[in-house]
Amino acid sequence: MMNPPLIETQSLCKTFRDFWRRPVVEAVKDLGLCVERGEVFGLLGPNGSGKSTTLKMLLGLLHPSSGNVRVFGKAPQDVMVKARIGYLPEVSHLHAFLTPRETLMYYAALFGMPRQGAVRRTGELLEMVGLTHAADRAVGRFSKGMARRVGLAQALVNAPDLLILDEPTSGLDPIGCREVKDLIHLLSQAGVTVLMTSHLLADVEDVCARVAIMDKGVLRAHGPIRDLLRTPDVIRFSVQGLSEGDAASVRAIIEKHAGHPVQQDYPEMSLEAYFLNVVNRDAPQKAFEVAPFLKP
Amino acid sequence: MKRTIQQIIAIAKATVLESVQQPIAFLILAAGVLSTLLVPVFQFHRFSEDGRLARDSGLSCMLVFGLVLAVTTAGSAVAAEITRGTAAAIIGKPVSRVTFVVSKWLGICGVLLIFWLGICAATLLAERGSYHFVMPDECAHEDPGVTCACCESPGHQMDTVTLTLGICGVGAAMLLAALRHYFKRRRFGVSAFVGVAVSQLCVAGLCGFYSRFGNLRMMRPDTAAYLPDLDWRILPAALLVLFALMLFAALATALATRLPTGPVLAVCVLALVLGLAGDSFAAGAGLASWRGLLAGLVPDIQHFWMCDALAHGGRIAWPYVAEAAVYALSCCALFLTAGCLAFRLRDLG
Repeated sequence: MMNPPLIETQSLCKTFRDFWRRPVVEAVKDLGLCVERGEVFGLLGPNGSGKSTTLKMLLGLLHPSSGNVRVFGKAPQDVMVKARIGYLPEVSHLHAFLTPRETLMYYAALFGMPRQGAVRRTGELLEMVGLTHAADRAVGRFSKGMARRVGLAQALVNAPDLLILDEPTSGLDPIGCREVKDLIHLLSQAGVTVLMTSHLLADVEDVCARVAIMDKGVLRAHGPIRDLLRTPDVIRFSVQGLSEGDAASVRAIIEKHAGHPVQQDYPEMSLEAYFLNVVNRDAPQKAFEVAPFLKP
Repeated sequence: MKRTIQQIIAIAKATVLESVQQPIAFLILAAGVLSTLLVPVFQFHRFSEDGRLARDSGLSCMLVFGLVLAVTTAGSAVAAEITRGTAAAIIGKPVSRVTFVVSKWLGICGVLLIFWLGICAATLLAERGSYHFVMPDECAHEDPGVTCACCESPGHQMDTVTLTLGICGVGAAMLLAALRHYFKRRRFGVSAFVGVAVSQLCVAGLCGFYSRFGNLRMMRPDTAAYLPDLDWRILPAALLVLFALMLFAALATALATRLPTGPVLAVCVLALVLGLAGDSFAAGAGLASWRGLLAGLVPDIQHFWMCDALAHGGRIAWPYVAEAAVYALSCCALFLTAGCLAFRLRDLG
């Protein structure tokens, strides 16, 4: 028997209304979405496309105007469902007067964690996001990137089965972005389902197995990222250490078989990879220790 | 159930911390305490009613400043958190909306309790500090055989020592808070707010060691070494005001789930005025009339304003206080239920 999808929406609509109940904007229209257990799913779209609205409906923060939402087979307002979810909002809404340590202890208390376990988990998470040195400074004085790291830590405080990340790399430096993407990989390998939104396509391409693209509240495309990006009638060869003369010979042979000119270029590394090389930070060495954040 | 209690404690504690962090909370408490303590100094028409004036003024400060504190705290703890998104971050966790509303109310009540302790102590001090008719033998100086200036002028005496200590207590609390902030990086707002309340309680505790004239009681063997000489009849009246403040906190919390601070303050002030004037505008009105309906909906604040009962040595019976507590809790439950219903379908973005 097949497992039911972890997240399922059917004909989901959300219309925001003004004080007089007049419709102001149709943020999500007739959305049908399925996220399977253990996958990393990306929800893409330009600003105002309805990504965050969709996530908030999945968390029970917004009420759908029509349609159905099921998370873990239940209504998202169910507190038992929310106990299994970690959520990083687009803007890290943190109590400005609390320190990162107090913030994590606070969220651990909301999950009903015993104090000793919460203290241990807080220490591990602070180390993971690189904020041990600033653990006792008020969050209100943090930069956006540092606040984002606290937000990420609070999303993992309950060792979630489903991690919902709204623009997870927003405000982070390239090293932070790399670390977040590594973390997503590691969590995915450990069986955690990740649903993330982003308008940074490179980030999504790096980590997501499947994506859905929304525009003006409508689902425009969805499927495995490799299928969506593949150009079926184009083949690319990558060869290392070939001389210019040999390259010209190979090109001539291929052009003869293809019957039309062949494009030849030199692959470039991404700016992110170049930056990480320059600042001498090897991302895999910085990979998070994921084991402490999984359920025992 | 255990998790819900843990959540309530966590959210209420964070609400107290965040609320007392706000400069407005400290300003309201300091203004309330200073207003209460300065009344005996600046009152000019006495007619042997100085103590009563100080008492009534203290309780009035408690009610009015407390109402403003309840509304501003509800505004920052509920309405502003909904706008900022902090509420969404909490509701995104396994916290029900009912738990959220109730926790916020309890947190606001915690802030009001600290405020109440400070103002209540200041009222007791102001009552003691105001002009009282004192007999010479009440002057507790060292040698009962020697007459001093105070013994020679029996009559209306003001306890300037107590009032000075009370006012200096506010300054000392601020200084201590500043030092804690500078040397230990403790939060100034929290230290100052709690410090002002504690300073008034300390002075209320200390004033038992000296007489109205500032002489130490322990130096005089024929009198008790400790006699606070405070008008404890104020306590039940102050408790009634605390119940009223809890009621307004519930109303403000319920309204703040849908409205910003300004309209919440307007509605609460209207409820206060209508609640105090309920007898006047609803006199003789039938239950079906709009006046009767309004009188039924608005809590009767007169139940909680019993200053006049203390005049001429009167007392407020404790069973009455208990009944008022039940009435206040019923109103709180009603308002919070309405608040939960209003918040249930509120979109949080």
